[in-house]
Amino acid sequence: MTTQDTRPLLAPRPNIFRALRTRMANSPVFSTSLAASGPRMKIAAMGFLLLYGVIAGRLAWLAINPHLSTTRRAAAEAVAAARPDILDRNGEILATDVKTMSVFAEPKKLIDKDEATELLTAALPDVDASELRQRLASPKKGFVWVKREVTPHQREEVFHLGLPGVGLIAENKRVYPNGPIGAHVLGFANVDNQGISGIEKFIDGQGFADLHTAGFNMSRDELQPIQLSLDIRATHALRDELAKGVEHFKAKAGAAAILDVTTGEIIAMASLPDYDPNKPTDALDPLHINRMNVGVYEMGSTFKALTIAMALDSGKVNLNSRLDARGALSFGRFKIHDFHAQNRALTVPEVFTYSSNIGTARMAMGQGVEKHKAFLHKMGQLTRMRTELPESAEPIVPRQWGELNTMTIAFGHGLAVAPLQAMMAVGALMNGGYLITPTFLKRGEEEAKRDAPQVVKTETSEAMRYLMRLNAEIGTARKVDVAGYFVGGKTGTAEKVIHGHYDKNRLFTTFMATLPCDKPKYLFLTIMDEPQGLPETGGYATAAYNSGYVTGQIIERVGPILGVAPRPAPATPFPLLAKAGFGFANQPAHGGGGH
Amino acid sequence: MLRFLNILFLMALIASAGYAYTIKYQTSYRSEQIAKTKLEIKAEQDAIAVLRAEWAFLTRPERLQQLSDKYLDLKPMAVAQIVPATAIPEKSARVEAVGAEPGALPSTPVVGAAVTTPKAPTATVAGASAKGATPARGAARKP
Repeated sequence: MTTQDTRPLLAPRPNIFRALRTRMANSPVFSTSLAASGPRMKIAAMGFLLLYGVIAGRLAWLAINPHLSTTRRAAAEAVAAARPDILDRNGEILATDVKTMSVFAEPKKLIDKDEATELLTAALPDVDASELRQRLASPKKGFVWVKREVTPHQREEVFHLGLPGVGLIAENKRVYPNGPIGAHVLGFANVDNQGISGIEKFIDGQGFADLHTAGFNMSRDELQPIQLSLDIRATHALRDELAKGVEHFKAKAGAAAILDVTTGEIIAMASLPDYDPNKPTDALDPLHINRMNVGVYEMGSTFKALTIAMALDSGKVNLNSRLDARGALSFGRFKIHDFHAQNRALTVPEVFTYSSNIGTARMAMGQGVEKHKAFLHKMGQLTRMRTELPESAEPIVPRQWGELNTMTIAFGHGLAVAPLQAMMAVGALMNGGYLITPTFLKRGEEEAKRDAPQVVKTETSEAMRYLMRLNAEIGTARKVDVAGYFVGGKTGTAEKVIHGHYDKNRLFTTFMATLPCDKPKYLFLTIMDEPQGLPETGGYATAAYNSGYVTGQIIERVGPILGVAPRPAPATPFPLLAKAGFGFANQPAHGGGGH
Repeated sequence: MLRFLNILFLMALIASAGYAYTIKYQTSYRSEQIAKTKLEIKAEQDAIAVLRAEWAFLTRPERLQQLSDKYLDLKPMAVAQIVPATAIPEKSARVEAVGAEPGALPSTPVVGAAVTTPKAPTATVAGASAKGATPARGAARKP
């Protein structure tokens, strides 16, 4: 350190500004004394504070929300989002996403729009040139699609064009590897991967679509796959047998389903004619509707099961009661006839096995209109049934419900319901009396029973199982008596209403079957629209010959797939009935019906 | 002394700067690697998704049935073909036929003498066959 420099480093230097300020403060012209300018300084300080505050705030804001460029954002909104995979109950893929490339353009960044149009249409020959030019010319749009889902070769070509303002973006394309199998349940998604119908729409309704609109694009691994109740192998077998049946009996349409009565799960469902969800335009054809869920039909004699259950459940009628079925039942100018007329008093099992219209009409009249209505309401037959599928149909209920309506509805005419709805009710009669709303998602028995009301007594359910079994052994449902499966069934034939009249030659046939009857697990339903009589059926086109036959084929083929083991007939299949004194119930072949 | 310290500090500074640079370089190299691997994982996942879709497409029951109809002599499994394990007859005792006296041969095979099959009263073939069941050939059954 030098000794010359004695002044401390930080000592104030003589300041010319201070001298100036002192002089100016003393002069009368500029009154800028510190005291006088204090408020002004404060205002200035506040101003700067505010300014820097705004800048800091904005910085923090930008740090929190990283700002995407407008194009990226527009693309993210337009791009087809990933959707969760849909699996069947065994984990087989029913619907999944694959990545494809799509070409987009930003008109603002295009230098020469005509040249771009020319080059792009050369690379993508199926794009309409004039339409593309028009779209590129619109000055407002920052983002337009040129072509969705291009082939790898086209992708290379567009890439090598090197046009500024034209880009490629990866998108998700929905594929349905199984084609038409299970199509009505799956529904389909459009090119933007939005669910349009079926389970696909249901998934969007679960908040998934909202997330996408809000800009949260989920990748595949963040999405849990949806597991359906369908078994794809059983569905294929069912559809195959149904298709053969529809072709053989020259029916206009047909549908079939298998319901697990203990859980309400739909194991298999098919409705023909159907469509391939990979070609969504086919789905819009009105012929391709889901006849199980969207169509409503008069279910015919299968409804007799409900009427008999109502009568048995009320306690007014038991299995030994006799009903007068002589001649025809007259009501005003209407006459109700029996198809298999016996012209004598019939017991309840005989009413079921001979499918007597008169007998069931009398049972319903014994209850009265109001009770009948209340029972059908309790069984869910008068209101729209809601499942996961967005498509559903309201039952057609008579506006004026009089005694005649009750009589005809008792045997399945005059009330049109969705076949799946009828399955739900018959399922309740089979499973011990629990009304379980069908589901298309996999679920367990406890979950299904949790909010399933008991609609009929356990004894009534057992009596109905006995009647179904009896009908398969000696009644109209013998076609489904597959050895070893202890099957029960009920036919139903309804005449279709043509121009306001029932037409004898246009039939709608239904068939319900359940197995095994002592402890039902599965309920089968087959419906056919206008099947024709064939020489080998003796010209008959009633349910037993077509729907019944097809149901038998389905049971035989699907049973092994579902893991149902054949076994000898149980010794006491109906213990409650036996206890109540209906001993014949345990030997259906020898008692009860009595031809 | 002071100069030595200055030089020391300067060297330390240079060394630490060099070290910091290496660290930074390595970090960016590693993060690049991570980004690259992530992209590769994504590409692999996409490829797996495509392969899974393809597998599902190729093994769809409809196609298997067509192929089975065309190339195999299989028939749909009948319900009668499913029996519980207990219904299968037990293996007969081994009979040494060669070299035996003609009269010494037992006229009927001895049943169930040596080998016993494991008894599983409820276990049936149905469960196993249902899992591996290929769609049955249906063309053979015409009404």
